Amino acid sequence: MAHEALFKPIQIGKLTIRNRVVSTAHAEVYATDGGMTTERYVKYYEEKSKGGCGLCICGGSSPVSIDSPQQWWSSVNVSTDRIIPHFQNLADAVHRHGGKIMIQITHMGRRSRWDGHHWSTLLSPSGIREPVHRATCKTIEEEEIWRIIGDFAQGARRVKEGGLDGCELSAVHQHLIDQFWSPRVNKRTDQWGGSFENRMRFGMEVLKAVRAEVGDDFCVGMRICGDEFHPDGLSQDDMKQIATYYDATGMVDFFGVVGSGCDTHDTLANVIPNMSYPPEPFLHLAAGIKEAVSVPVIHAQNIKDPTQAERILKGGYVDLVGMTRAHIADPHIIAKIKAGQTDQIRQCVGANYCIDRQYQGLDVLCIQNAATSREYMGLPHIIEKTTGSKRKVVVVGGGPGGMEAARVAAERGHDVILFEAEPQLGGQITLAAKAPQRDQIAGITRWYEMELARLGVDVQLETRADDSMIRDLQPDVVVLANGGHPFLEQVPEWGYSDNPDESLVVSSWDILSGKVEPASNVLVYDTMCEFSGMSTADYCASKGSTVEIVTDDTKPGVAIGGTTFPTYYRSLYQQSVVMTGDLGLHKVYREGDKLVALFENEYTGEHEERVVDQVVIENGVRPDESLYYALKERSRNKGQIDLEALYAATAQPTLAGSGDFALFRIGDCVAQRNTHAAIYDALRLCKDL
Amino acid sequence: MLQTLLPILIFAALALGAAGAVRRIRLWRQGQRTPMVWRRLLLMPRRYLNDLHHIVARDKAMAHTHVATAGGFVAAMALALVVHGFGWRNPILGGLLLAASAVMFVGALAVNRRRLNSPTRPFPRKLSRGPWQRLSKSLIAYSLGMFLVSLPIVGFTPGNLVGVAPTVLGGGVLAIVLAAVLVWGLLEMLVGMGWGGPMKHAFAGSFHLAFHRRPERFDDNHPDASPKKTHDVHRGSRSTALFPLDLTAKTLGVEKPADFQWEQLLGFDACVQCGRCQSVCPAYAAGQPLNPKKLIQDMVVGMAGGSDARYAGSGHPQQAGGIDVGKPGFGHHRGGPSDAIVPQLVEAQTLWACTTCRACVEECPMMIEHVDAIVDMRRFITLERGETPEKGAAAIDNLIATDNPGGLDNASRLDWAADLEIPRIQDRPEGVDVLLWLGDGAFDMRNQRTLRSLVKILRAGGVDFAVLGEEERDSGDVARRLGDEATFQRLAERNIATLSRYRFARIVTADPHSFHVLGREYGAFGGDYVVRHHSTFIAELFDGGRISVAAPAQAETVTYHDPCYLGRYNGEFAAPRQVLAALGVDVVEMERSGYRSRCCGGGGGAALSDVPGRARIPDMRMEDVRTTGATTVAVACPQCTAMLEGVVEPRPRILDLAELVAEALVEPAPAVPETSTSSPSREEEPA
Repeated sequence: MAHEALFKPIQIGKLTIRNRVVSTAHAEVYATDGGMTTERYVKYYEEKSKGGCGLCICGGSSPVSIDSPQQWWSSVNVSTDRIIPHFQNLADAVHRHGGKIMIQITHMGRRSRWDGHHWSTLLSPSGIREPVHRATCKTIEEEEIWRIIGDFAQGARRVKEGGLDGCELSAVHQHLIDQFWSPRVNKRTDQWGGSFENRMRFGMEVLKAVRAEVGDDFCVGMRICGDEFHPDGLSQDDMKQIATYYDATGMVDFFGVVGSGCDTHDTLANVIPNMSYPPEPFLHLAAGIKEAVSVPVIHAQNIKDPTQAERILKGGYVDLVGMTRAHIADPHIIAKIKAGQTDQIRQCVGANYCIDRQYQGLDVLCIQNAATSREYMGLPHIIEKTTGSKRKVVVVGGGPGGMEAARVAAERGHDVILFEAEPQLGGQITLAAKAPQRDQIAGITRWYEMELARLGVDVQLETRADDSMIRDLQPDVVVLANGGHPFLEQVPEWGYSDNPDESLVVSSWDILSGKVEPASNVLVYDTMCEFSGMSTADYCASKGSTVEIVTDDTKPGVAIGGTTFPTYYRSLYQQSVVMTGDLGLHKVYREGDKLVALFENEYTGEHEERVVDQVVIENGVRPDESLYYALKERSRNKGQIDLEALYAATAQPTLAGSGDFALFRIGDCVAQRNTHAAIYDALRLCKDL
Repeated sequence: MLQTLLPILIFAALALGAAGAVRRIRLWRQGQRTPMVWRRLLLMPRRYLNDLHHIVARDKAMAHTHVATAGGFVAAMALALVVHGFGWRNPILGGLLLAASAVMFVGALAVNRRRLNSPTRPFPRKLSRGPWQRLSKSLIAYSLGMFLVSLPIVGFTPGNLVGVAPTVLGGGVLAIVLAAVLVWGLLEMLVGMGWGGPMKHAFAGSFHLAFHRRPERFDDNHPDASPKKTHDVHRGSRSTALFPLDLTAKTLGVEKPADFQWEQLLGFDACVQCGRCQSVCPAYAAGQPLNPKKLIQDMVVGMAGGSDARYAGSGHPQQAGGIDVGKPGFGHHRGGPSDAIVPQLVEAQTLWACTTCRACVEECPMMIEHVDAIVDMRRFITLERGETPEKGAAAIDNLIATDNPGGLDNASRLDWAADLEIPRIQDRPEGVDVLLWLGDGAFDMRNQRTLRSLVKILRAGGVDFAVLGEEERDSGDVARRLGDEATFQRLAERNIATLSRYRFARIVTADPHSFHVLGREYGAFGGDYVVRHHSTFIAELFDGGRISVAAPAQAETVTYHDPCYLGRYNGEFAAPRQVLAALGVDVVEMERSGYRSRCCGGGGGAALSDVPGRARIPDMRMEDVRTTGATTVAVACPQCTAMLEGVVEPRPRILDLAELVAEALVEPAPAVPETSTSSPSREEEPA
């Protein structure tokens, strides 16, 4: 049988999990009203259970104490009995479909922010500042230690009373328990620091208190780090020793292992490896812990593919695989494996849109699956066929918005034609995938290609749709998702011209598409500070160019999320790319066979010049609106989207009317936003088509 | 002259025929003997008229032809004995003799017409040529000769007919010609009957009906008998359980023709080479090297000794002799009663191509048991020679080691249901209504969906059920069909021992193979259970109003594929159709459905032996489905599901009846009970 190891049930403590797949704890940022789980929260986990996930561990970093702030990430508040009935709803929803659910509970210690809400003074064993959150903190006192130990026990009680199947104590990500463990942070000389036993004491007292509160039959696990990757931190051998020490108590039912510490920007990027990492980069660390302990070990981190998961389990490296982002991209991954539809799994590409939003305190969303965490709004993971009339739908543009619109319309059972001017689908994803270490983002397109083929969408490549072509098709619905072009004409002094021989500057698209070769000395001017500029600089450097990337913002890449800018920085610094902030590009002119770029400092007004071979500009996308305006007047809705219906994710009223075709435009052909925005609009617009 | 010659001819032919018959009986009795109870011959007429003729009558034209020819012959022969043999030249008897001869003549013409070969009516491929082609002429000769020679008895002479007195010379020539025609007819009809001519079928067929190894097939009052006689379902028990093998015997299975039971040899000898089996055999249609008609003739060759050179029908595809009628090339296969059958007479591939679907047995008007013979020969190959084809051998090894053919940890049989919390019978000492027998589909992800659907239905119907879990072992079906009777019996005995420890009213299973083996074949080992296929059980749930379904949201056309082990083996054709009717979907029948359903290709271990052919059987079956225009094919067997889903897309979707019902259930019970209410965490007061 295929995936035999994946579907082997396992016993954790007294609990039977139906398969080996876990959605591990992550901050969802969906709990509101003082940290109570919402309908959104419940539906998000219910969908995973419906999709076949064995075990969900929800509520990453759910605080047990009032001075471990909950609000920054809208995390679940386990410090009050008010949470208990909410847990019951959550447990019922997950259990209804055969899944199990636990929650991670913690005190984050210094790993938080103090400048809001209760304005809590953060705590840490030795009052050492946490760099990622720029969090200063006090040195914890004995009384506070015992209070927090008691809080853990009460938190665990609430979890149990709420009917969840267990709780996971977070001793990872430099929370309070592992702040005590790590000599990097714990400089105490009393009984809570120094020797191994002393550093272990806080965690041990927490474990004992929790066990005493919930009894032997309730599942209690620990999530630990595999190696902090700091010379003054905990090594893999230290972690094995720690795991053995706690395992020996017999009070721990399972261990979750995360490779890498995360109290610096660089190590944090390891924790949720983005697409630049190889598959399961830290499995060896988890396997090391498994060697040391007698209970099941869970490991996540870049396990996205069922075959990969099966290989890991069959090899016996760990007992359960965390496929958390895999479930964010497709909560029905298990059901699809079971139904023999592995080709239909929407696979996580490691874009880390989810986690990068979370670190900004925004709700976790998937770059490619707009239904995830919007189940409560009625956005479907499985699109039902329409019971109404079959429509002819014309989609213009094969970027993410157009592909999603075509997919959803075809799933509804309509006749769908998609026009794409380029020889392949993907739109700007195709460009993004050209950059070093970013190729996996093409997985988004690959899935759509397979789905559109499966659904029988008539995909017409290298076809630039025009007004008359569309009219001849006599469509019922036209969705324009035809994007735009690099906005180089904004500042005439940049010297951009439609004629490549005359133009002084080229676009990031020209470079990434391969249309223009990087020259030997390249200046990348990036006003956006997102992926595209950094990718262009990285691409040029990887081709051997000397590169400087300049922005008028504070620093290149500043708008990129916390788990991805470090991987760009690693690559750019390594290749000696110069990153300069605060300079606006005023003018480009030719001098001999060189180009001179004239900058003005944002704050001093002083001018600076760079003499280079090539100026590449990343200034965002200007929408292509001509087709829209050619069609607009004749359309029955004058191209207008009913926003109330759109935001409520209900059918567009114009579809019920009569007349000529309905016209909608989405994505960058309206205004530049991002992949998720285009896909989200396409889904909510077309799901009721 | 003819008056003196005729009695001599008739009695000589009878005597010669009788001598041949004695020799023929001796050939049959080379087989393993049971006492020959002559009294049983009295059973023959009823079995002929009631049972055999019922099958013949599926082809109306042929039935009428046979009634005329055979009836005419039997009457004419009896009357000829009296009138010509004993010389009682009574005009009334003479008139009756003329009438009988005339009826036979008409029948003979029809026989002949059927065998003509013309561009508009090509010679039917299923028929044999050679002596069988001659027979139609011989029938004409006999009936015409008997008619002419009997005319004088009612006062007609050839002279009367032509209006002139025959000259001595003229009369003499005519008499000689007539005598020659009569001699030809008598040789064919009486001498040939005893000495192995085509008319042997009447003699061997009569004995075969009388001494048939499965007398319950003729018993209309048998508990398994079809409830009512319909035009296409014959009566009597379906009697489809294989005969147990005595594992202490010196030789296990059939190595040489003489190892068959004598009744089996007799049965082979009754074959009329009508080719109905050939027409329905899925392996033959797929171009695999099995033609059941040829196989039976191979057995006759083996019994009598010699080669297949004189065989004049379609051969085993891919083998010498080709598949085209009359193509030369037979004669390479030889046999004798004490010579090994495989490979000299029959190649092993021929035996392994059989899917045990029983389509041949179902169609055979002589009620020959092809499948028994094939399994008997497989038993020898597997048990004595250890030459089961590769994947079959692996499956058997797995069954021996792990109690399931996949070689999987038997304790993982319930893995798919870890979240369903299905009650185990071990926890229900007071007993349950239904023991749900999972079968080996429990290890297969596809079939797990069917099982989950079935569990959902059982729960919705409030059925009190439980499973054996890891204590359930493979039923032994595959081992038995692959000839490994030892492994089958071991599994059967262990399953029976397990079942004897628990209390349940009946067994329900979604696997027709388990259904057949548990219900029909365990009885011989002391395991008698009420076993229901899930289609029957679901139909009962509908009947009892215990489940209800919503009308289909969209019109859908469904066709139903009858699994062999449910339909032909066990006669359950109605319940699956009742279930589909209850669902309110449009049902279209395939041309080959019901008792004539075409096998999916997966039975009898054929999916494991995987004998190559021109086409794949499931592809052909899917073509049958496509012809109906159905968008869904409803199945009722894990093996059929797997085989049909192996057909490349695009194709209609394949759903088990249980899946279709579960999908449509109104107020479906939750797939999983609300575990939160039973979880200890809720029951304990917080400390």
